[in-house]
Amino acid sequence: MADFFLQALAQVSSPTVLLLIVIGVLFGIVGGSIPGFTVTMAILVVFPFTFAMDPVSGVSLMVGVFVGGYSGGIVSGVMLGIPGTPSSITTVYDGYPMAQQGQPGRALGIGVAASFLGTLISVAVLVFFGPLIASFSMNFRPWEITALIVFALTLVAGLSNGALLKGLLAAALGLLITTVGYDRNSNLRFDFGLPALGSGFEILPVMIGVFAFSQLMGNIEKLRDEKHSSKGVDTNVSIPYARILRDMAGQKLNTVRSSLIGSLVGALPGTGGTVANFVSYDQAKKFSRHPERFGTGTPDGIVASEASNSAVAGGAFVPTLALGIPGDLPMAIMMGVLILHGITPGPLMFEQNPVLVGAIYASLLIGAVIMVLCQLMLVRWFAKISLIPQQILVPVVLMLCAIGSYALNNNLFDIWVLFAFGILGYLLWKADVPLTPLILGVVLGNNLERQLFRALELDSSWLTFLTRPLSALFLALAVASLIFSLYQNRRIQRHQRQAQDLAKPSKEPPHAA
Amino acid sequence: MLTLTKDRALALAMLVLAGILLVETGNIPPPTSWQPYGSALFPRILLVVIAVLATLLLIRSLLAGAPQRTTPRLAFGEWLALNRTVLALFALFGLYALLLPLIGYLAATLGFLVASLALLLGVDSRRKWTINLAVSFTLAPLVYAIFRFGLKVWLP
Repeated sequence: MADFFLQALAQVSSPTVLLLIVIGVLFGIVGGSIPGFTVTMAILVVFPFTFAMDPVSGVSLMVGVFVGGYSGGIVSGVMLGIPGTPSSITTVYDGYPMAQQGQPGRALGIGVAASFLGTLISVAVLVFFGPLIASFSMNFRPWEITALIVFALTLVAGLSNGALLKGLLAAALGLLITTVGYDRNSNLRFDFGLPALGSGFEILPVMIGVFAFSQLMGNIEKLRDEKHSSKGVDTNVSIPYARILRDMAGQKLNTVRSSLIGSLVGALPGTGGTVANFVSYDQAKKFSRHPERFGTGTPDGIVASEASNSAVAGGAFVPTLALGIPGDLPMAIMMGVLILHGITPGPLMFEQNPVLVGAIYASLLIGAVIMVLCQLMLVRWFAKISLIPQQILVPVVLMLCAIGSYALNNNLFDIWVLFAFGILGYLLWKADVPLTPLILGVVLGNNLERQLFRALELDSSWLTFLTRPLSALFLALAVASLIFSLYQNRRIQRHQRQAQDLAKPSKEPPHAA
Repeated sequence: MLTLTKDRALALAMLVLAGILLVETGNIPPPTSWQPYGSALFPRILLVVIAVLATLLLIRSLLAGAPQRTTPRLAFGEWLALNRTVLALFALFGLYALLLPLIGYLAATLGFLVASLALLLGVDSRRKWTINLAVSFTLAPLVYAIFRFGLKVWLP
């Protein structure tokens, strides 16, 4: 592996690829720092620009966006008190109060340093565990892969905002979308008389349509409902380097713990940066000698939040690269990039494309260094950019989505696919349906069908799924995840009912008792 | 009379979709002699799963009853007025997709950007128009140049 890593490092260190990583990191930070834009949107917008690139260049650019995006959320969180991306919600708890106390530079500096260290630790986790899991999963046969995909989908659906039924519906709908067009036996399914549907839907316009339209239109609705003003925000920030070094020296344990939590949570399907953020913030508070300082502008809170959400980047690559199962939305899109470049993520990737795996490791490392340099040098500019209003951003992103979908195959039909799935995504979002399971279903659908039928062709008995130990284990885990989600749903509903009861006015006047 | 809540509407829409597509699977060719399972099996499994989940969602929403409204029900005109920006943006995007092959990338994109920025930013001051035109006339050609000369991708 070391040889391949050196080969990959040589490729990634070429001036063109380095420039692409710089561009990716810059765009990622900008995307992460604009409230409502999110890391996922940044990745979706950059995705089409990788079409004409070789795999190493395309993947390096995307990894740059990834690393930058997860660290970018801190800018608007500290400056405006609004998390730029959902994975930096807890950064606001302490970053904003610290900025309000006249120390925005200190808050940003601590966040950037924690992000950097979090990314490095997660790369170490990826380097160590990725090949281990991949070599273990080399023994997986179609039964195990089918059961694993089912487990991943139920886990993601179950963890979606406590809406288990809707999450499962979304996942099934995502899988159904992949059945349009010719199948493995060259039989045409669901073309609705449109010859263009013969080859099925392209993943990219479907993903962009479902996610981007719901997100952007949702942002427009928020603008209608709440008037937020960014006037009077002072973007003239300077970083007190000596102070940051002193702050970070006292945060060694917190940084390592939060980074490991971030890497672990990132590696679990269905979780991601937001969960990592809350778990590590909670743990940092529990382990702290001064838990009462949390939420008032303590460095501990910023470190816990930023180290964990940046560590998600490396952790999330573990199941994607090793098993071919993306754990969250950004990783599903990353998997789309790899598939587009003719590479199928999974255990074989480590054997067939070791240089590309090494390139991902190297890009993560180089991206982390570039991220810290860019953030520290250009923080004032990022602070200014985070103030770009949604009214300008939304039309520009919609235009980029359209052109990106078209550029995939130079096919205007893909813009209509984007539009149709945009309407579907918006309607589902309005009905409170979680969209991540749908997108994962779209990404995993073809593989699920292929593996399921390979298993059935090898052995026509469905019972084999239960008699093979590993496949039975994954199916049992799928059932367990559904039962856990049901239990969680009931708890959430009970809390909601209790809250409603408390809010109801008492029938008796209070003095009657 | 039963109120059509979000969950009920979703469940009914999914049931209708599953019903129509289940009928459609009848048009998929049956398996040949060497295939144990045909091409229709996988979509049929998914459609049954969707139908079962939608039925469960419908039953759950009926058992829970309609939630108490905290806001008054909007008349269609009021709803339209409240959502006019989002609806107009969807319409502009549809028009953009329609015009792209007819008038080409540059004209269609400029038209879409100017119109949608005017919709969202407003048209009531010279400053807003300056921002609108500056963003549109910078970005449309810039994206064209990146795709055409940088990535060698032809835009319509």
